[in-house]
Amino acid sequence: MGDTAASPPDPLLHPKRRRRPLRGLMQRSEAIRAYILMSPTLVVMTLGIVIPFAILITISLWTAQGFGFDTSLTLNNYAQANEQPIYNALLFRSLKMSGLATVATVLLSYPMAYYVAFHVKRNKMMWIVLMTLPFWTSYLLRVFAWKVVLGYEGVINSGLLATGLIDKPLEFLLYSQSAVVITLAHAWAAFAILPLYVSLEKIDRSLLEAATDLGDGPVMRFLRVTLPLSLPGVISASLLIFIPTTGDYITPALLGGPDGTMIGNLIQLQFGPVNNWPMGATLSIILMLWIAGLALVFLFLTQLAKKKLT
Amino acid sequence: MDVLDQLGTMREGKMSRRAFMRSLSAVGVGMATVPLTAPRALAAAEDQATYFTWGGYDIPELFGPYMEKNGELPNFAIFGGSEEALTKMRGGFVVDVSHPCNQAVPRWVATGLFQSIDTSRLSNGPDIIPRLTELEGNKDGDNLWMVPFDWGSTSITYRTDLFELEGEESWDMLWDKRYEGRLGSLGSAADAWWVGAIKAGVSFDDIDTPEAFEKIAALMREQRPLIRVYTDDNSTLEQALASGEMVAAMTWNSSAVTLAAEGVPVKFANPKEGALTWVCGLMVHKDAPNLDKAYDVIDSLISVETGKFMVNDYGYGHSNAKTFDHFDEETLVGLGLSKNPETILGAGHFQKPQTQEFETKMNGLFEQIKAGF
Repeated sequence: MGDTAASPPDPLLHPKRRRRPLRGLMQRSEAIRAYILMSPTLVVMTLGIVIPFAILITISLWTAQGFGFDTSLTLNNYAQANEQPIYNALLFRSLKMSGLATVATVLLSYPMAYYVAFHVKRNKMMWIVLMTLPFWTSYLLRVFAWKVVLGYEGVINSGLLATGLIDKPLEFLLYSQSAVVITLAHAWAAFAILPLYVSLEKIDRSLLEAATDLGDGPVMRFLRVTLPLSLPGVISASLLIFIPTTGDYITPALLGGPDGTMIGNLIQLQFGPVNNWPMGATLSIILMLWIAGLALVFLFLTQLAKKKLT
Repeated sequence: MDVLDQLGTMREGKMSRRAFMRSLSAVGVGMATVPLTAPRALAAAEDQATYFTWGGYDIPELFGPYMEKNGELPNFAIFGGSEEALTKMRGGFVVDVSHPCNQAVPRWVATGLFQSIDTSRLSNGPDIIPRLTELEGNKDGDNLWMVPFDWGSTSITYRTDLFELEGEESWDMLWDKRYEGRLGSLGSAADAWWVGAIKAGVSFDDIDTPEAFEKIAALMREQRPLIRVYTDDNSTLEQALASGEMVAAMTWNSSAVTLAAEGVPVKFANPKEGALTWVCGLMVHKDAPNLDKAYDVIDSLISVETGKFMVNDYGYGHSNAKTFDHFDEETLVGLGLSKNPETILGAGHFQKPQTQEFETKMNGLFEQIKAGF
């Protein structure tokens, strides 16, 4: 310090700043600092999401021609996707199936999360870990496990046969839409339990006491305090499940049978054996738009509901 | 930067914000550059050939000579159907050897992704049954594109105790309304659609005509409600046949042989309309990173040692003429094979190479039908 004070400060500081231009830049502006810190993420986002998305849009405007593409831009694929009944039918079937799976998952997970949040006093972490334990195994393994449970000679059928309730295995269990919905509801449960638990755990207990003091019974208390305050958890759980399951491909491929195929399978086929990449790209984009649209509607409705409830 | 040193300063609470940030950014840069350094680190044995093939061909029994020479198995990549395989390779997946079937060869060659094969580099080259090398599309001029390896039929495997046969064995068995929901089918059009053509009585020369498409599509639509599941996975069909969930299914030879070996009462039908016959083989990628070992893979697969296993355990025909000397005629006939492959290939319906437009149209239409449209 004594040295700096003795000599004029400017010539000493200047060369320092020259030598480290980046640091100078970072210190001068908050925004630049933020961008530099985020830059690895930004690069990954651009390389991994924005560019592929642009490619997807471009390909969807091309036409397949033998092994190659006719690269003149056209909206034909979108027109075709709209006209041919198979695309819309599979799209709506997928939305319906994953909608059902989402509702089932959230309804089943809510009580579990509620119990841990309000009634478990000690070792909460252990409870959470135990509930998410099945998710430590691979997704594929869980799907196969359901194949074993629902199969022709599976756990349910052999159990029912042994008790004499049926005399011939139930065939609708496997290779059907219900098999896919059941499996999805189980396979994604962790994604519902965790956000629900977090939002329930955060609720201020004194609010519940206040509601009781003011004369609300347990049901009204739940509807007027707990439910509205846990809505963010419900919303994020629903979106977390609905978005990926709509495009799911492996579950319907293994358990769906001919009637249980979803739009994800069709998209995979376009990129595989059918060899019509532009149509596959078109379907992916249409699916993305539908999911985005439905998610927005859902968010809007829950906002409305929240206003009504509180 | 010493990691332990950093942990120490951290524990003592002496880590400065700046040093912490520096470590963080080092980690970040490290993470971001990991994919740049070792893209092929996932392959187990870097210096072995990669063989891109159907499920069931990735077993040591087929690679005796290869292992003797190179000490290890080649690397495997598995596909469910050869169209899927071609799509992956066109997307940039480089392998040494792949395993298409003869009707696909001209289209595979047209992609420019393969190199012709020099049979003089194969010790078993002279023993290949000549009829198989001379298949349509396999050769142009002196260029041999595919070394034939295995051949067989697509037909019906049925439970002799559960399926009540009416008259002769026929493709009608897979259209039998009595067994609605208890029939199975291979999922790829490369099998099912051609079977549809046989059933419809369409000659394979006319398969690419609008009338043929119409006729076959009508048949496939008629069959669809009867089918429990369409799959490219042999074991799914085999398990369903073993448990009685299905009574009959379209399969390749190996399913019937495997099931019979396990004591399940099944028979591989010889339909009166003729079975669908196919010959598959090995093609070498133009950029094969281990060309010498690619030839080792091929030589191993067409060796008599491998051939014996193929015939005995899978019930497939083999391309090495000497293989058949190890079996008596009775065993071969029981497997639906013959010492003289000509008799089998002549009796069946043999797939003919088609254009890419045909493949796209056929696959697209068949997928629609499978989905119920």
